[in-house]
Amino acid sequence: MDSEIYLDNNSFIHRLDPRVKIIIFLLTFVAILLFENPLWMLPIMVLILIQLFVSGAVKNLRRIRYILIVLTVSSLILWNLFSTGETQLFWRISLESMLFAIARTMLMVLMISTGMILISSTRNEELINGMIKLGMPYRVGFAISTALRLVPTIASSTVTISQAQRSRGLDLESGSIFERIKKFLPLLVPVFISTIRSTNIFGMALESKGFGAREDRTFYLEFTMGTADYIVLTLSILFVLASIYFAISGYGRIDGLIRF
Amino acid sequence: MKEIITMWKNTRMIILVALSAAIYAAFLIVFKGGIPIVPGITEVRPANVFPPVFGLLFGPAGAWGAAIGNFIGDLFGGTLGIGSIFGFFGNFFLGFIPYKMWGATFGLVKKDDMSQTTDNVSKIIAFELVALVSSAACAIIIAWYLDIAAIVPFAFLSITITVNNFAAAFILGPILLVLLYPRVKRWGLIWTDIMNKEDVGKAYGKTLGSILMIIGSLGGLIVGILVAVGAAGQELYGFAGQQGQAAVWLSVLPFLLMILIASLMLSGREQFVEVMEEEEI
Repeated sequence: MDSEIYLDNNSFIHRLDPRVKIIIFLLTFVAILLFENPLWMLPIMVLILIQLFVSGAVKNLRRIRYILIVLTVSSLILWNLFSTGETQLFWRISLESMLFAIARTMLMVLMISTGMILISSTRNEELINGMIKLGMPYRVGFAISTALRLVPTIASSTVTISQAQRSRGLDLESGSIFERIKKFLPLLVPVFISTIRSTNIFGMALESKGFGAREDRTFYLEFTMGTADYIVLTLSILFVLASIYFAISGYGRIDGLIRF
Repeated sequence: MKEIITMWKNTRMIILVALSAAIYAAFLIVFKGGIPIVPGITEVRPANVFPPVFGLLFGPAGAWGAAIGNFIGDLFGGTLGIGSIFGFFGNFFLGFIPYKMWGATFGLVKKDDMSQTTDNVSKIIAFELVALVSSAACAIIIAWYLDIAAIVPFAFLSITITVNNFAAAFILGPILLVLLYPRVKRWGLIWTDIMNKEDVGKAYGKTLGSILMIIGSLGGLIVGILVAVGAAGQELYGFAGQQGQAAVWLSVLPFLLMILIASLMLSGREQFVEVMEEEEI
């Protein structure tokens, strides 16, 4: 499953230091959240689109298109209902609420795209290592990376158990909500038991190799920041600072918008 | 709350974090669509039974597991975003509140049998209570932030998350716990069997803490919704129109603080009673 999300390309974004990619990921969230007018969100949208195409992450985005369509439609409807404005268009929809709904939809889709760029261009171990280098305790990093490695195994055994139970007559698609939820029990118990029973052996194996013996640990995977990393990081920080300046100066608002 | 930090000293607790996160994430991914209640709006995610069960069995490791598992679910599902950050905290509390409140459920869980299972009616009621409170707490944490960020309205999201979380836990939780507890106990993996009592924070007025936790979670949910829809709250707090967002923000904030204070007042130490008795014998 890991290999399905991570794209083994050699793009400029793939080659960036994972720490830089994590910081850009967080900075992008700040920049996206600053404006409520969709026009003011266009610069960050263009930057994200460039990253999507350069990294090839647009391919992964296509895979979740149904989620994106549902989010887009529901967001457009909901934010129109939860806001209003002075320039009435039709029914409960005003020009201001429409602009606001478009901006909120852009925000959601852009955030998902930003996350997709990060995970499509960064391997799990690079991501965790980057987080540890940025200050996350290595024990936490170990738990996350172990979980990341185990998810595909557990997901595939869940599918196998599900198929085995279906072949024995388990029908997850019929019955009332109450009955359908209860039908998940024959799947939950075996997955839980088969996973958790290995805890003690796993623990002994780790401790026999000195896990937790020291406060710090070393890594095979080491990163060094290159010129490109520093340039990208500086430009990103400048972009966000400029966005903050414009937002504080009152740009990017929708005049006449009333939010409930 | 000391134990959420001290547990990281223990290798088996770290492994339980990883395993519970992996199980939760795997179920979130495999059954991502869930069982629709209102198609496209609300669904029951069977995986949501895991956080309260993990919390009760594995204590702080279950809480961290729920938080990390939800984050990984977002990562693999391609829905990693700003919501994932507060999804992390919300799901942490979904696993955290059950084990903190278990020994402070107004006598439903007796002092002489604090075992984290649902083998009698009063423990089933206790489980449903802690599952409901944690579901609401998770909902208001996530919905509060996403409303401030103007991503999803509070009135919509808080109800959706509470229903999603609680429905699976309500139906599957008690059965799952009664089936899993004996095995987990036999393997010595119940959190009170792994951790030292001294590594768990002390209680400061358990009953009051429990009441605060209930008011903080369920009260926050109700007040937040009322203010968000403007039924009473907007007049009550004197906000309207443009300041609508601030009304939700300000009205839910005290309840979130209540949850935090209650978390400091509640302990979980009382669940070590079985071990103490065995040691005395």
